[in-house]
Amino acid sequence: MAPERITGRSLLYYLFLSLPLFAFFSSIFIGPFHINPVQLVDLMASKILGYATDYPDVYSTVIFQVRLPRLLLGMMVGASLSVSGAAFQGIFRNPLVSPYILGLSSGAAFGAALSLAFLPGVSIQYAAFFFSLLAVALTYFMATTNRSTPIVSLVLAGVIVSAVFDSLLAVIQIAVSERALQSIVFWIMGSLGTASWSKIYGAFPLFALGCTVMLLLRWRLNVLALGDEEARSVGLNPEKYKIIFIVSASLAASSAVAVAGIIGLVGLVVPHMLRMIFGPDHRTLIPLSLTFGASFLIVVDDFARAGLGFEVPVGVITTLVGAPLFAYLLRTTRSGGWE
Amino acid sequence: MKSSTYFLLAVAFCLLLAVPASYANETVLIEDDLGRSINIGSPSERVVFTMENALKTYYAVGDPDNVVALKDDKWMRRLMEDVFPVVDPNFEDKILINITGDQLGLESLAKVDPDLVVLWASSPDDPNILAINDTLKVPVFAIYVTSLDDVYRQVDTMGIISGNTDRASEVKEIMEGYVELTTNVTDQIQESDRPGVFWMWTDIYGTAGVDSGINDLIDMAGGNNVMKLAEEEAQNLEHPVINQETLIKLNPDVIYMWYNEDLDPEDIINGEDFQGLRDINAVKNRRVYEISNPYLFDAFSPRMPLALLHVARDLHPDKFQDVDMNQTIDQYNVDIWGVHYPSMVKA
Repeated sequence: MAPERITGRSLLYYLFLSLPLFAFFSSIFIGPFHINPVQLVDLMASKILGYATDYPDVYSTVIFQVRLPRLLLGMMVGASLSVSGAAFQGIFRNPLVSPYILGLSSGAAFGAALSLAFLPGVSIQYAAFFFSLLAVALTYFMATTNRSTPIVSLVLAGVIVSAVFDSLLAVIQIAVSERALQSIVFWIMGSLGTASWSKIYGAFPLFALGCTVMLLLRWRLNVLALGDEEARSVGLNPEKYKIIFIVSASLAASSAVAVAGIIGLVGLVVPHMLRMIFGPDHRTLIPLSLTFGASFLIVVDDFARAGLGFEVPVGVITTLVGAPLFAYLLRTTRSGGWE
Repeated sequence: MKSSTYFLLAVAFCLLLAVPASYANETVLIEDDLGRSINIGSPSERVVFTMENALKTYYAVGDPDNVVALKDDKWMRRLMEDVFPVVDPNFEDKILINITGDQLGLESLAKVDPDLVVLWASSPDDPNILAINDTLKVPVFAIYVTSLDDVYRQVDTMGIISGNTDRASEVKEIMEGYVELTTNVTDQIQESDRPGVFWMWTDIYGTAGVDSGINDLIDMAGGNNVMKLAEEEAQNLEHPVINQETLIKLNPDVIYMWYNEDLDPEDIINGEDFQGLRDINAVKNRRVYEISNPYLFDAFSPRMPLALLHVARDLHPDKFQDVDMNQTIDQYNVDIWGVHYPSMVKA
């Protein structure tokens, strides 16, 4: 919930909430194909208001078929990973947790590699999505004993499931041709370079479902973050809400990984940055993770798609940009914002 | 000693001198594709090949009995349906060297007791080169083909390795003759008539930089690699990966796809995921082509002239109307390997 008095921090809160608008409207003007900003605004207005323009068709294609889907997909992926990361960190009460803690990324990478190497008829997106959820399910069931799922067991089960899928991935990498290997490696690095409307349509329902549930139930994360005993003492069923949050966060993160590959650090660093600035309250942390995560990824992707003459996997840049920013905040805040 | 004995000895000595270089077994110093100098026997009599395009070159030039082992690679195994088993009757019985990832099995290599290992490497510090040098002390010839000149050089090299330099010269002449079938036509094409070509590797937006063998192939086929118009930092990479928007900006007249199991030209032209490309010339004019057979039209082997002709015919169909492709392919295979194609009957 937003702070009630208008203070410097509350202004900052609203600024961060509105960041996606600024990020979107600055990024739409950036790209290797030069379009005059005035013409670009006119073209967008013509699309919304329904009047005709006489610009070359290619302008419309670049804006509405290439740049717009990429920006929207980037926002969706950034938001999914950040919100899932914030939720997982809350559930696990552990600052080192990312959306990939339960084996999701290893499962997705294995699924994608399987599709690229041996199942050309099966969509990479669907294979990655299926195996990412399978990995999370395996982790959960492996960690559950006597209807209880201790956090430590979940983390350890996640490590084991990740290791199994990593080994299976290695087996595929050994068996495939050089070209297929190159495609697998590029997919694993994460990229928004193949964004399209069909990918957005495919991923949006699960992204929306997962994020909506986490937004609506976000205050319960504050209780879960206190520990199972404390949660029970205030009448909250920790097992039930753990499952709800794990399923929601996994759905959102899997839909993101399936369309963009494994983009590192966003889900770990963005919630931390926000926690350092705004504190650990999940009522503010979850909506801010949504907006800041979306903005962070598309701004970073601006460099990936237009900074050099060639495409740089965005996962590489999120790490290069995120790590120093994170290090700076870490040195200037107490306990990384957890207190 | 009688004068007749002196005479016979003199004749024998002259005959010995007259033995062609290709039959003499001597140690020669050669330079591999990475510029490393290595001493090899010429001919080398127990050669291990771990890559198929160098093997293709060797089979065009040398004695197949000197090939003792091959890499156990299913990609390479698929070529067994090709000319190899016809050229080399013992091909299917060759010993296989096991491989884990990119690492050759040293024990299985030691078992075949090679006098030369031919492998692909892009650096002198390649782990396979270092491991073989350190353990087996066997000379390793590194292949690294980045231009069409390298393909010709490979023919010369295989001539030295097989001790059959005369045949290597002959093969080069044949290749040059077939290349001229194309370049005699394409050299006459004006700059303005050369279509801009985007070469699409299997990673879709990965392409051929201006410093690559494919760039040479496009030039010789009468096209212009559109990467010449790209940002400098991208064009100088051997395999730059660009994005959709950059491709729209480059606006190629032709998209040429390397063989892709997952994608057809029709997907690029009408596919839902490629709607962003609909305004580029290549898509508007339906000029998206694909290398239909990656083995037959391999640009980095002696079959390079066929790949060149394949591309040139697609870029300039009007100028190659009279070329009977099937007949050319058959005759080329006969000239280089002595095998008809596609019947695989020995000529």
